[in-house]
Amino acid sequence: MGKVKLIYSSAVAAIVSITFTVAITICGELFIPLKNWLTDFSGHHWTSKSIFSVLIYFAAWGLLYFYSGSVSAKTVRKSLISLVVFSVAGILAILLFFTAHYFTIF
Amino acid sequence: MDFSFLTYKPVLVGLHLGFAIVGIDAFLWLAGEFLAGTFGKLRVKTAAVIGVLGFALSWLVGGYYYVVYYGKLVKPVIKAGVAPWSHAIFMETKEHIFLFVVPLAVTALLLAFLKKEEIKEYNLSGLAKTLAILVALLGLLIGAMGYMVSAAARWGQ
Repeated sequence: MGKVKLIYSSAVAAIVSITFTVAITICGELFIPLKNWLTDFSGHHWTSKSIFSVLIYFAAWGLLYFYSGSVSAKTVRKSLISLVVFSVAGILAILLFFTAHYFTIF
Repeated sequence: MDFSFLTYKPVLVGLHLGFAIVGIDAFLWLAGEFLAGTFGKLRVKTAAVIGVLGFALSWLVGGYYYVVYYGKLVKPVIKAGVAPWSHAIFMETKEHIFLFVVPLAVTALLLAFLKKEEIKEYNLSGLAKTLAILVALLGLLIGAMGYMVSAAARWGQ
């Protein structure tokens, strides 16, 4: 059960981290003060996003592992399916956003 | 011994690409093991550990190159060249979706540490294969984007 709970916690934490990365990236491009704050935080906006995405992943992983109850087979499978869906959606969201941004649609 | 050569631009690009290739190849190996129904063996765990280390090192080395050199030296050349869209679309996408790789790869690594009976009990075989293939494909996609950015920099000079 311990290993399976680790997998469930990691999958959900990865979803949280990916969602954060997509949101902060798009919001940072649309709201320049946010991007400037990210740049000021570490010297480069991408470094700040990297640091936050890693911290969020490990913090969410730990919290989920220690504070979630027992995990069923169905719950683990659902978390992994969601991780695949969120990953593909995140890739498409970022690619489409920067394409639209280049063509000044956003 | 002087290791300052590690911060030279061509060395950094080579290490970034080399570690990424190690990560991609290890995850293709892992996907092959999962597709063959091999779970919990030492070689499956080895493939996953090598893959995660490869991607993590590629991220660190590539990140250093990106932050220190790319913005000052490469980006202006691309933006002034014949394919400025390669930075605006593909470099921007590449640098951000790279942040997905390590959490995905670590999750696949944990699946590689399950025994065959546990994989069967929780019915995770299909999802383990899907995740390993997704990580390898994501690495290849990022590599293809990196190639376009490099080509744009060469054409821009």
